[in-house]
Amino acid sequence: MPVSATPPAFVRRWWPWILIVAATLILPVILPPFRLNLLGRFLSLGIVALGVDLIWGYTGLLSLGQGIFFALGGYALGMHLSLNSLEPGQLPEFFGLYGVNSLPAFWQPFSSPLFTLVAIWVIPALVAGILGFLVFRNRIKGVYFSILTQAALLVFFNFFNGQQKLINGTNGLKTDTAKVFGELVGSDAMQRNLFWLTVLLVIAAFLLCRWLTSGRFGDALVAIRDDEPRMRFTGYNPTAYKTLVFTVAGALAGISGALYTVQSGIISPQFMAVPFSIEMVIWVAVGGRGTLLGAVLGAVLINYAKSLISEQLPETWLFVQGALFLLVVTALPDGLVGWWRQGGPGQILAMFGWPPRSATYPGLDLDPSMLAEREALEGPSSPDSGTGGGR
Amino acid sequence: MTTLLELRGVSVSFDGFLALNDLNLSLQPGELRAVIGPNGAGKTTFLDVITGKVRPTQGDVFFRGRSLVGTSEHRIARLGIGRKFQTPRVYQNLTARRNLELAVSHRSPFDLLFRGLDGSSQDRVAHLLKVVGLAPQAQQLAGGLSHGQKQWLEIAMLLAQDPDLLLVDEPVAGLSDEETERTGELLRSLAGDHTLLVIEHDMEFIRNLDSSVTVLHEGHVLCEGSMEAVQSDPRVIEVYLGVEDDLEPGIAPPSSFPDRPSSELQP
Repeated sequence: MPVSATPPAFVRRWWPWILIVAATLILPVILPPFRLNLLGRFLSLGIVALGVDLIWGYTGLLSLGQGIFFALGGYALGMHLSLNSLEPGQLPEFFGLYGVNSLPAFWQPFSSPLFTLVAIWVIPALVAGILGFLVFRNRIKGVYFSILTQAALLVFFNFFNGQQKLINGTNGLKTDTAKVFGELVGSDAMQRNLFWLTVLLVIAAFLLCRWLTSGRFGDALVAIRDDEPRMRFTGYNPTAYKTLVFTVAGALAGISGALYTVQSGIISPQFMAVPFSIEMVIWVAVGGRGTLLGAVLGAVLINYAKSLISEQLPETWLFVQGALFLLVVTALPDGLVGWWRQGGPGQILAMFGWPPRSATYPGLDLDPSMLAEREALEGPSSPDSGTGGGR
Repeated sequence: MTTLLELRGVSVSFDGFLALNDLNLSLQPGELRAVIGPNGAGKTTFLDVITGKVRPTQGDVFFRGRSLVGTSEHRIARLGIGRKFQTPRVYQNLTARRNLELAVSHRSPFDLLFRGLDGSSQDRVAHLLKVVGLAPQAQQLAGGLSHGQKQWLEIAMLLAQDPDLLLVDEPVAGLSDEETERTGELLRSLAGDHTLLVIEHDMEFIRNLDSSVTVLHEGHVLCEGSMEAVQSDPRVIEVYLGVEDDLEPGIAPPSSFPDRPSSELQP
C-alpha cells in the first residue's frame, strides 16, 4: 500500500471532529439562510434524540412522551421572548384577545433572562424526575411505561391546547419578532448565531451522554436494560438510575425544544402532538440505538430527508418514513451506525464484486481459517471487531 | 445472636396455591447447607422470600435477628445476602470483567459516575477472574461465553459482592463432571467464612458437599440431617420415587438418588 494513502495519525484520530469543525465553519457560508436554518433546527432535534437514546437505547425505557419536556423547554424560552421586547406595563398581544389585563403570576419570573436560561432545562428535568420517580418506584416498565408516557403526553397536550388565557392555547407563542440584544430573533444574522450555538450544544450534549454511558454508570444502565431484577439482587436500586437518566433526558429535551423553538419561530402545543414524540424514537432507531452518534445522525438525516422529500412530493413522506422504520426493524436492528460498524458497507461492495481491502499484505486477516482462529480468540461478537470491511 | 438466618412459619400463597407452607429453617454462621426437593417443592420461592422478591403471606424471615419482610431486594442484598440464579444470569452485553466490576462495589449512581474503581476492588476483580478461570475471556462479552463459563462468571459475581450469606440455586446445572467437581470444591472452601445455602438436583454433587441436607416437599421441610440419614428416610424415598409399594418386587430400594431432575421420576 503506498504510504501517501495513509493520513497522518493526527487526522486519523480526530477526523470526525475535524469534519465537524470544518462543516460548522463552512456551511453557514455556502448554505442559503433557509437551508442553514433547517439544518440548525434538525441539529437541535439531535439533542432530544440523544436523550431518547440514553433512556431507550441504553436503559431500555421506551418513552413516547419526550414531547412534554421538549415543549416545556420551548415554552420557557417562548414566554421569555414574548416578554423580552415589551415596554414596561405592556402585555403580550394575545392576552388582549381574551380580555386578560394583568400578567399571570407564573409569567413573572420569565421576564428574567437568567431565570429563563435555567428554567429551559430545569423545569423539564423536574417534571421528568417527578414523573419518572413515581413510575419507576412502582416498577412500571416495558409497554406499560410507553403507554403511560404517551398518556401523560396527551394530558399535557390537551391542557396546553385549552389554556388560551394563560399561554395562547392552540395558537402558541411566536418568537420571530422578539428582539435579543437588539436584534430580531428571526433575522439571518441571529439565526446564524443560533446555528453555531446549536452545534456547540449538540457537542456538549453528546459529550455528556458519552461520559454517562462509557464508564461503569453506563454499564449499570445496560445491565438494567438487560436484567433489572439481577441488578436488584446485586444491591443496586434501579429506580435511582432510571429516575436520574430520565431526568437527564428530560433536561436534554428541554434544551432541544428551546433551540428548535427559536429556529422555527413558534412554540405551540403541536410540539406535544403524539406523532412527533414517536418520530423521535424512529430517528434513534434508524440512526442506531445505543450509539450516540446514531441518535444525532438519525435526527438530522431523517428530518432533512423529510424536508427534501416533502418539498417535491408532499404526500409521500409518511410512506418513506414507514418504510425506513420497517427496514430498520427487519434488516438493521442496530440502525445505520450499527450497520456501518459491523462492516455493512463492505458487504454491499463485496456483493458487487469489490473485494474488501485487507490491512495485511497477503490478505492474512481475510483468510477464512485465520478468521475462525481470531474469532475463537476474541469471541464471536465483540462490538468493535468489524471484519475489516467497515474501515 | 448465633443464628444467621431464620425462617419462622413462612407461608406463601399464590392465588390460593401454597408454594410455601409453614416453613421453618435456620442457618448458623459458617454453615454449608444443601436444600433438595422434587420440582415444585418451593425451592425457588424459598429463595425469593429470603431475597425480598416475594413477600410471605404469613411468617417472618430474620437475618442476624432483623426481619427482612418488607425490605426491598437491593437493601437485602446490601445487608449481605447474595444470590445466584438457576439459569446463569449475567449481563450479556457487558464483558466478563465489567460484569464483575458492577458486582464488586459502590452501588449508588453517583459513586459510579464520580468515583473510579479503587485499587483493592480492581485486584479483587482480577483475582476472581483467575479463580474461576475466566482471565483469558475477561474482555469478551458475557453473552458469548459458554454455558459453563457463564455459570462460573455468575458465581464470581456473587463472590465479588462478598456477601455473608450465599444463596446458590443449581450451581452445576449443565456443567461437565470436571466443572461440577471444581464448583463443589469452591463452595466447600467458602464455607466457614461465608454461610452457604445450595439448592441442587445433582445428588452426587450434594453428597460430595458433605453438608447437612434439608428436604423440601410441598413447601414444607420434610426432614433434615446428613445425606445418609436423609436418604434412608422412608418419607424422602416416597416423595422422590412414589410409595414404596409401587416398586416392583425384586428391585431393591434405591441406595442413592438419581442424578436427573426428579420430575422425570415422579409418578
